[in-house]
Amino acid sequence: MKFVKNHLSIIFPMVAILLGLEFFIVFDRTTKNYEESLRNSYAMLVVSKEEMSIDDFKSWDSHVFKVSEIEKSKILNRVSLAFDKSSGKNSKLQDKMPNFYSIKLNSYLDKRDLEEVKNNFLKSRKITRVETFDTLHQSNYGLFSFIKFAFSTFIVFMTIIGSFLIIKQMEVWNYMHSQRMKVMNIFGASLFLRSKVLINMALIDAIISAIFASIIFYFIQKSWLRDSNITIIQDNLEKLFTFSDIFILVAAAMVIVMTAVTLVVINVKEE
Amino acid sequence: MSNIIFAENLTLWYEENEIIINSANFSINKGDFVFITGPSGSGKSTLLQSFYGKLQPNHGSLAIGGLDMTMIKKKKLQELRSHLGIVFQDYRLINEWTVEDNVVLPLWIAGYSKKVQTEQAQRLLHHVKLSGKEKKYPMELSGGEQQRVGVARALAKNPFLILADEPTGNLDEYSSNVIWDLLENACQQLDTTVVVVTHQIPTVFNIPFKHLSIDQKGTVYEVC
Repeated sequence: MKFVKNHLSIIFPMVAILLGLEFFIVFDRTTKNYEESLRNSYAMLVVSKEEMSIDDFKSWDSHVFKVSEIEKSKILNRVSLAFDKSSGKNSKLQDKMPNFYSIKLNSYLDKRDLEEVKNNFLKSRKITRVETFDTLHQSNYGLFSFIKFAFSTFIVFMTIIGSFLIIKQMEVWNYMHSQRMKVMNIFGASLFLRSKVLINMALIDAIISAIFASIIFYFIQKSWLRDSNITIIQDNLEKLFTFSDIFILVAAAMVIVMTAVTLVVINVKEE
Repeated sequence: MSNIIFAENLTLWYEENEIIINSANFSINKGDFVFITGPSGSGKSTLLQSFYGKLQPNHGSLAIGGLDMTMIKKKKLQELRSHLGIVFQDYRLINEWTVEDNVVLPLWIAGYSKKVQTEQAQRLLHHVKLSGKEKKYPMELSGGEQQRVGVARALAKNPFLILADEPTGNLDEYSSNVIWDLLENACQQLDTTVVVVTHQIPTVFNIPFKHLSIDQKGTVYEVC
């Protein structure tokens, strides 16, 4: 019973931390796709006196990813539909019209950054107007940022709780292993030999924790998430938990336990 | 005869104004059996601790097995300790390990094979009259039995020097006699140097011995 309790008291917080990590990885992965689709559907409008190339825009702001010119004839045709279609003034009007550009950015920016991009463009005398459509942009981005923040807070909270439990377990380890380590030190054991028992135990617990966390996440993916009606999850269902995640979890678990073991070992007073 | 322990003006203290051992001069040769006696708090255990490097000399010099203990490096100290046998009054056994595992600890540290470890454990446990208790845990044994395990552990790797701090302190007569016999045999048959800190030298002791006494001021005298 004591044996099981000793192992569970490290496995439990480790699983909590690893689940937090996996949630973070999965969330990052799925939101990246969502962010990408938001980015693709967003474009700002720039009006200039002269013809511009993508290099011109890039020289003013590095966020510029793609520039497409909106054909004047299309704009005129739309406008003319409301007036007289047979008007012969279209070609003259076309010559006098400024150039319109649809600009796509390389990342999803917040309101302040958008304003900065706008100001960068307006520094050029060739640019007469920039429309960022930031209200629509912000309504999408605000909700997305809030969900991201709420989720990150939850993950951080889980990690803090898990870390506190691990610190508690480190105190137990110190109490349990210090006597043996001191005796071994008196008989000339090296630091590695003295720590070997603790290292072995911690590594086994790390692997068990990573397997547990993987199994839990696999079932979450296969049952709860599959049945959910959340579009962003449904679109990325196969990307949620991948086989390589097991290795990430094992590696993370090992780093955490080895840090804990090192702190315990260096705190055992040598005789 | 070669010096196993050599002390010259050896001074030990925990705090500078509280000297424990004051300018001690003595030498202990290979194969000597030495008792260190003195009243409580005179510094007997402190002196013994300096022999295995728990304390470093604050003044003067101390050499153990030819190694200068005043400036011994960690690695050298580990090596020295792996060739010592140490017995404590409070046994210092590893409670979560079996008797057999405790006995072969010095062999395990030295990297001996499992076969050698098992054979040596059987032999030593037979000598300390604990055959059949290999798989027991220390807490399942009496104090006397635990101390015999401690002595078996000290003898496991045929050390050149055995240091024993009050090895029969709280033991019954039977266990005390077994332990004195073992230490006598180690000294006589294996030519091992044995240093024992004790309150009282046993009334019946079968081999010649050296006697160092420490007074309350921390002065070490060679009695015989």
